[in-house]
Amino acid sequence: MTQIVLKTEGLTLGYGDRAVIDDLSMAFPDRQVTSILGPNGCGKSTLLRALARLLRPSRGTVTLDGEDVFSLDTRALARRLAILPQAPNAPDGITVMELIKRGRTPWRGLLAAWSAQDLEKCTAALRHVGLGDQMDRPLNTLSGGQRQRAWIALVLAQDTPYLLLDEPTTWLDLRHQLEVLTLLRERNRRDGTTVITVLHDLNLAARYSDHLVLLGPAGLVATGAPDDVLSEDNLRHAFGLEAMVTPDPVTGTPMIVPR
Amino acid sequence: MKGTLLVIALLLLAILLSLSVGQVMIGPAALWDGLWHGSGPGALFLRVLRGPGVGTALGAGAVLGMSGAIFQILLRNPLASPDVMGFTSGAGLAAIWGVSAGIALPIPLFSAIGGLVAAGAVILLATDRNGSQPPLTLILVGLGVGFFAAAASSFIMTRLPHQEATEAQRWLTGSLAARNWGHALQVLGLGAALTFALALQVRSLALLELGDDLAAGLGTRISRSRGLLALTGVLLAATGVAVAGPLPFIALMAAPLGARLTGARHPAGRLASAAAAGAIITVLADLAARAAIPGLQLPVGVMTGILGAPYLIWLLVREMETGDL
Amino acid sequence: MRFAFPVLLLVFAAIATLAAGVRSVPVPEIWHALTAFDQTNPLHIVVRDIRLPRLIAGLAAGASLGMAGSIMQSLTRNPLADPGLMGVNAGAAFTIVLGAFLLGRADGGFIAALSFPGAALASLGVFAIGGGVRGETGPVRLTLAGIALNALLMSLVSAIVLTRTEALEVFRFWAAGSLAQANVRPLLEMSTIAALGAGSALLLAPRLEALALGSGLAKGLGTRPGRIQLGALAVVTMLTGAAVSIAGPIAFLGLMVPPLARRISGHTLRFEIMISALFGATILLLADTAGRLLIAPAEIRVGIMTALIGAPVFIWIARRLRPGALT
Repeated sequence: MTQIVLKTEGLTLGYGDRAVIDDLSMAFPDRQVTSILGPNGCGKSTLLRALARLLRPSRGTVTLDGEDVFSLDTRALARRLAILPQAPNAPDGITVMELIKRGRTPWRGLLAAWSAQDLEKCTAALRHVGLGDQMDRPLNTLSGGQRQRAWIALVLAQDTPYLLLDEPTTWLDLRHQLEVLTLLRERNRRDGTTVITVLHDLNLAARYSDHLVLLGPAGLVATGAPDDVLSEDNLRHAFGLEAMVTPDPVTGTPMIVPR
Repeated sequence: MKGTLLVIALLLLAILLSLSVGQVMIGPAALWDGLWHGSGPGALFLRVLRGPGVGTALGAGAVLGMSGAIFQILLRNPLASPDVMGFTSGAGLAAIWGVSAGIALPIPLFSAIGGLVAAGAVILLATDRNGSQPPLTLILVGLGVGFFAAAASSFIMTRLPHQEATEAQRWLTGSLAARNWGHALQVLGLGAALTFALALQVRSLALLELGDDLAAGLGTRISRSRGLLALTGVLLAATGVAVAGPLPFIALMAAPLGARLTGARHPAGRLASAAAAGAIITVLADLAARAAIPGLQLPVGVMTGILGAPYLIWLLVREMETGDL
Repeated sequence: MRFAFPVLLLVFAAIATLAAGVRSVPVPEIWHALTAFDQTNPLHIVVRDIRLPRLIAGLAAGASLGMAGSIMQSLTRNPLADPGLMGVNAGAAFTIVLGAFLLGRADGGFIAALSFPGAALASLGVFAIGGGVRGETGPVRLTLAGIALNALLMSLVSAIVLTRTEALEVFRFWAAGSLAQANVRPLLEMSTIAALGAGSALLLAPRLEALALGSGLAKGLGTRPGRIQLGALAVVTMLTGAAVSIAGPIAFLGLMVPPLARRISGHTLRFEIMISALFGATILLLADTAGRLLIAPAEIRVGIMTALIGAPVFIWIARRLRPGALT
């Protein structure tokens, strides 16, 4: 039985006067991997930013356990919900471990030294993303895929039950995309972390997600299990795309083949 | 570790050189003697003639260096510093206005207000339609505000009597001549207080460095943290300006030089090395300004200009090659 | 016809320069002073010996700096370019001051001519540092390169000037220019050079316009980019060197005049340069007159006046540069 804690209620989001998301009420199932899909400019990232209180809604609310995320203390929220934005900034010459340690900030006292637990969480996160032996390397000497995994390790070290990621696979080649998604699903299966990502690739999203949110130019098109959401009708509504949906020969999940 | 020791050694060497060298040379032995026995020529130079100037230079250099480091980290741009962005010129303008109008309030108060007004003007004028401030626009608008403040300072000077105008001119160029222990204690005391305030904010600076969204996700209140850091940065710069005038280029140079010497990467280490590097540069520039031409004390700002401008040029050439700018 | 308005303005500014001051001189009296000079009339002496040289200095320096700004902005495609901000003024001032210091003489004709090598080196220098050689100068880079060079040269100027004891007045002159010393400056020689520079500028203008389309297209149009750039820098050197010899380093005039001129001239560079000359002289004369009146009997040097007016213009232009255009 799925419990639901993270919800939006009548959410309207926009930059300036332009509403990108209008009056959206929906829920994100707990302890599942959810992917937000949709064409460019439909507000996928905007929605994710609002879930993580990075963007204040013009109307409506985002609630976590019944509490408005904007009314929560931002540090307390940071212990429950982590977000990896699309283009974080890497300080010059920073090493992998130094980067990961900054993910522990919400857990540290104002003048406290590093606790054994902090360091343990950091090394565990690094091992989890397969960078356990790279911790002293400068970030900018890593390959693109490794670098992205290092950033993911930072939010893993933040040790939150909710993990939000904005297009974590952009710029990566296919093998690295699979690596990143596998790693997120592992985290979900092992620790019960709720993972919410924005993804571009429909087939990968179908493979790795338990739950999909499909947005179109006119707002929410469908939400639910991949088999239900990725129908030919829904794809036409969301993308204006004529496509055939067949079972993936490897996993049996829906696979989209444009006509 | 090696880098830290190197910086400390350089700092001590700079202090020693600055105390020893001048129109009259005085050896380390005599200084040592003066330090412990409180008499003799060593004590005279230490306590009266050179000590206060060196102390003031140390403090002013350190606060300017930290201020530069704050803005460079905050805006992620090596060109962002309170001197390039006009804050020090604003502080200088307010100080010179206060003195010329004969208002009996402490100079640091004027320079702090001037620095804050300049910073506020820069932020306001650089804000675009979307309500954000692109770093390069901040830098360019800051240059403009600096030009205006400098011109307004010259305008005020025009109205001063000759003797005061000469003094004001030296001060506006950046000068450490005739500084007493009052100046040194003022900059060191205020500097220490602001450094403490800064220490409490280092963690949010380290997060802001990763980008606003990630920092917010990690529990930082972005606008409040940015505002407080910028406020601390402006006040640090104003503290330096109050005792040494709007010294050019120290804030710009100190952070990269310090980071290069110590290899520090975390903002805490970079702020500390920027303070040390700022102090070293200022003490040495002051020494050069005193000793370069026998019998004549140039304003130290002339020396930091001669040192700093080539650095800025080098920076631009390098950035051009790496295509960062 | 497009010239009517700028010319009228300039005539007004010229009359204001001759008429206004601690002692104001009525316009008919000015006419008499110029046509029927009477040695015993103090007003005539004021007009002829003090204000007329000042007028000529303002005309020559203002027109030169306006034109130099227009050429620099076209050459670098940078709306923030200005001989004062880019260090060309400071280069000219530096060699003059250095010459006077080394030769131990006050400013004579020879020493005034030293402004040209300084201006030439500085304009070449800033163009090279700013990446102009590779044709990829962004406004920020070029502006900062100029400011750095300017700061370096001005620091050197102060270092030299401050070694003298009677420094303040001299220092003030070399820190921000003034027309107050017009009657001891080599007006005739420098005006001649400025006029030569103006002529060359007008000849060069169409080629500079071709260059503004990018060096590839410029080559296709049958021009040689390297030569045009060198020619433009030579013209900037002549104009700026002359202006600095007459009036000291005056910044911002070359920054603010060309955008004003463009409103009338449109984007034809030859017209822009001519109107810039008229506007440059007009603004400099008006700024100088205002500087003499504002806190009379003391006077604000015109270099400070142009900076007070010009700095806000700088900010205004900087704000309008789109972020994409900044690098």
